[in-house]
Amino acid sequence: MSILQDIKNVVRSRSIHVAYVDVGSCNGCDIEVLACLAPRYDIEQYGIYVHNNPREADVLLVIGSVTPQWVDKLRAIWDKIPEPKVAVAIGNCPISGCVYNRRGTLTSPPAEKYIPIAAQVPGCPPRPTEILNAILSVAPLIFKDYEEKQS
Amino acid sequence: MRSFIYYIREFLRPEWLKNFFFAKTAPLVTPSYFKDYPTLTDKECTGCFKCMMICPAPGGIEVLRRKDQWVPEIYPGHCIRCGLCVEACEEGVLTSGRILDITRRDRTAFRSWYHLEVDDALCMRCGNCCVSCPINKQEDPQLGSSGTSSSDEVIMRIEGGRVRILHEEKCTGCKTCETHCPNGAIRVARMVEGVHEEVEA
Ligand code: SF4
Ligand code: SF4
Ligand code: SF4
Ligand code: SF4
Repeated sequence: MSILQDIKNVVRSRSIHVAYVDVGSCNGCDIEVLACLAPRYDIEQYGIYVHNNPREADVLLVIGSVTPQWVDKLRAIWDKIPEPKVAVAIGNCPISGCVYNRRGTLTSPPAEKYIPIAAQVPGCPPRPTEILNAILSVAPLIFKDYEEKQS
Repeated sequence: MRSFIYYIREFLRPEWLKNFFFAKTAPLVTPSYFKDYPTLTDKECTGCFKCMMICPAPGGIEVLRRKDQWVPEIYPGHCIRCGLCVEACEEGVLTSGRILDITRRDRTAFRSWYHLEVDDALCMRCGNCCVSCPINKQEDPQLGSSGTSSSDEVIMRIEGGRVRILHEEKCTGCKTCETHCPNGAIRVARMVEGVHEEVEA
């Protein structure tokens, strides 16, 4: 256990940067993510910051049921995020397509087909607390001792 | 300069520093009335599938035969937590939040029936629908092979060169007529209506 790794662990546990991407949702989940930023849930007190720039992000929140326009672009966004990174599916849409998963709709769920999804938060929409808990529980699994796990 | 010093002093107060670095809102608890995924009560499921028929989410709920009883199963990731299945179940097998308390208090329920509709522009009066319907056959064993009938008790019959629907309320929703119509002219739709029972004074 190197000292450098310890420092990285501490910093990473208090500095989780989030980008979210709506790949074709009804906006319900976007509003719940927005509620996380508001004072009632106040996501920043847990050291989570929303920047919406994939180049700075650690966590990608995928919202929506993947419309044809997003099929190739979702992968492109994922590739832009520097390692270590993790994608979390928010809501039913990226998991199953939710109510859009029926004949005649232009969606091709699940999001897992395009990028690796580490955690899923089912719900239509999920509660802000459920979103927060998912980010807080999945982030340490990926980010803690990341360099040591690599070597 | 005075204000600068004031700010430095303000920000060095131990209380302020403590609040700044260790602030936490109260732990967020899920309220008891939260309409979460429906859970099972100890009532027995009769396998009527009313919950499955009302569910708006594809693949949200399935009623499965387990050993020798029916068990409804909810799939998170598909279920949208609308609570309609809880309201639709007459046996009270499912529960979620305070839905059951509210429906009991307000005496609300769902009433459902099957609505038959024939598109006269597509229908070629072959009578297949009337002949194939199992309820029609029960009501009038003498039903003509072209769908004509002398009985007024049948669900539908060919009359005056077109399909006439007489007793929609007897339809069981089996959709046999739909599958036997060569033109897709007849449609069976399940209609649901929320009803409010009047409280007798
Ligand atoms: S709560 Fe709504 S979406 Fe979920 S299983 Fe019941 S009817 Fe379907
Ligand atoms: S859960 Fe209720 S509505 Fe669903 S099949 Fe069983 S008895 Fe019928
Ligand atoms: S759905 Fe079944 S019962 Fe109803 S009219 Fe058609 S065949 Fe008859
Ligand atoms: S089976 Fe179809 S085409 Fe034939 S009489 Fe019935 S509705 Fe018309």
